[in-house]
Amino acid sequence: MTTTTRRRRRPLIVVALAIVALVVAACAGGGGPAQPESTGVGNVPKDTSGTVRILMENVPDTDVVKSLVPEFNKDYPNVKIDIETLTYDQMRDKLVSSFQSSSPTYDLVIVDNPWMVDFANAKFLQPLDARVKDTTDYDPQDFFPALNEIATVDGVRYGVPFYNYALGYLYNTDDLAQARQQVPTTLDQLVATSKALKTGNRAGIAMQPQRGYKIFEEWGNWLFAAGGSIYDANGKVSLDTPQAKQALNAYIDTYRTAAPPNSLNWAFDEAFRSVSGGQAASMISYNWNLPALNDPSSGPLAGKFKLAPIPGGKQVLGSWSWAIPANSGASDAGWAFASWITAKPHDVERTEKGGAAIRQSTLENPAVLGGKYGADYYNTVKEILANSSPLSQGASGEEMIQAVGTELNEAVAGTKSVDDALAAAQSAAAKIQG
Amino acid sequence: MTFKHGMVAPLVALFLGVVGFPLGYAFYLSITGYRLTERGTPNMVGAKNYLATLQDGAFWHAFGTTALFVCVAVSLELVIGLAIALALQKQRWARDVTRSMLLAPMFITPIAVGLIFRFLLNDQIGAIPTMLHGIGVDYDFFGPGRALFTLAVIDVWQWTPFMVLLLLAGLESIPREPLEAARVDGAGGWYVLRRVTLPLLAPVLVVAILLRCLDAMKVFEYVFATTRGGPGTETETLQYFVYQTGIQFFRLGSASSMAFVVLLLVLTIIVIVFRRLERAKQS
Repeated sequence: MTTTTRRRRRPLIVVALAIVALVVAACAGGGGPAQPESTGVGNVPKDTSGTVRILMENVPDTDVVKSLVPEFNKDYPNVKIDIETLTYDQMRDKLVSSFQSSSPTYDLVIVDNPWMVDFANAKFLQPLDARVKDTTDYDPQDFFPALNEIATVDGVRYGVPFYNYALGYLYNTDDLAQARQQVPTTLDQLVATSKALKTGNRAGIAMQPQRGYKIFEEWGNWLFAAGGSIYDANGKVSLDTPQAKQALNAYIDTYRTAAPPNSLNWAFDEAFRSVSGGQAASMISYNWNLPALNDPSSGPLAGKFKLAPIPGGKQVLGSWSWAIPANSGASDAGWAFASWITAKPHDVERTEKGGAAIRQSTLENPAVLGGKYGADYYNTVKEILANSSPLSQGASGEEMIQAVGTELNEAVAGTKSVDDALAAAQSAAAKIQG
Repeated sequence: MTFKHGMVAPLVALFLGVVGFPLGYAFYLSITGYRLTERGTPNMVGAKNYLATLQDGAFWHAFGTTALFVCVAVSLELVIGLAIALALQKQRWARDVTRSMLLAPMFITPIAVGLIFRFLLNDQIGAIPTMLHGIGVDYDFFGPGRALFTLAVIDVWQWTPFMVLLLLAGLESIPREPLEAARVDGAGGWYVLRRVTLPLLAPVLVVAILLRCLDAMKVFEYVFATTRGGPGTETETLQYFVYQTGIQFFRLGSASSMAFVVLLLVLTIIVIVFRRLERAKQS
């Protein structure tokens, strides 16, 4: 090859490399509008047209929403609702990648509470204050305050509640009566009752000590029952406290003496099957599992279960919120649907069909209280939602929850002492959330 | 461009597009502080992610966990697979039915296999603990010190058929003459296996072990479906660790650097193995 040919090719190579570098650089995080802005339309005109693509989790509450779409279309005949459902993990992955896209993928999404701060800080979501304020008869103060707090980041509302997943104490009334026990109201009683409910083949309580989210979600209730909290008055993580130690010791004691043997990797599915199948007398789980446990198709024990607040009165709260992505292609139509389905009359319908509660007035509605799930259940749900708190309140919530859940699991497995596990959990959570 | 270069150009272009671009993009991410929850062009951080990965105890713990999993799973698959392949080679009737039935686990998606075993090993509803209870044995399959071995056994259940497939093909391609000569000379079965069959099977064994090791290193689904990395971090494998870092915790830049460190380590091991094999062949 001659020197002249080499010289001629060098600029070509440089240009080719520059193009590759630009393409590669352009692929990361370049999409989407720089600053999301709310259009501020609250009352969306009934003749609005468009397609609202919604990404939702594959859960019963989504089915309830789907069943209400025909009724929505009576009010908004030109808005097509296109709901895509995925499992939790698939949904999160797809959601995040859709936010990065410059062209809209979804026009309305649901956001889990550990993601809310991260998504809001990343400006993935449109602020909704103006829309909420301008929507006639919307009454956002009617939502349970804890659900409103989750949807609000640094004073700006980025979502409206879709459904709650606050936890409660679910128990088999026959088993409790046979063991001559009362519904526990303190941490000590929870431990004693769980032990008293244990018989030869039946566990006293089906626990969910699986590493990560599950154990922290369950143990958080024990922490509250011991009088502890996840964050102190200054908003700092406070897991290395005497109350946390008491709660973790009680949790481990109960796991070893009253939970099904060899259940260290158990999560929701196993615990639910155990309780519905009569192999455990109680569990701590989502409040809306009561209708599922009492559903005739769940087994011969249907109808025997009841829900109570967590001993001590305070419980862990989870919540999904409706949110409009910053890159939504149909934000007005999206708000039309979100505000319609969360409006008072439609929330009553949704709750009657089995959807989880979000509005205080809904749980006072005679139609709901007189419905198939009964006033007793809804009154307990109201009590639960009035005093509940999420696992994470800051950025990187998912990472913090996983880190703490790993340490708690170590303590239950016996591979770390309670003191060491709590110290490590405190240190990891403080490092992640500051 | 000469004709010969022009002829390979489509292949080179395809290689660059299919392999080069994703790798190049991943490398680019690995030298940035890119988070999935950030907008705009990510800031360049140079080797910071790599240094953090190399100093990250959790990463090396996951690496060690994965290495142990690979060693246990692939060793068992090799021994059991070789035994089954030798038996199948001698089978005279219903060969096709047996072989197709044996291969069935390979065709189930790993996440389904993980879920099947999650409930099969469940102490209250699982068939295996129930049978063990029947003979007075209580075993915590996912307990501390045991969960990783349980996952390795699940891998053995699913992937031993792959080993059988490769080894059976290798056994059937071995020339008959050396085996018959050894038998004529009075060699016993164990001696023939050790001194004749296995040396002749060596190239196939190396490929089979390498393929299974590389595949077993990617273990993710069993962890995801059963233990989520617990108890503690006992079953936190590399893939699960990288998945959590990049997707669950949104730190894609860090996760990319971890993936590249793993890639470099694996490539180094492969190169060393192949060089040694070449030297052994030449000597």
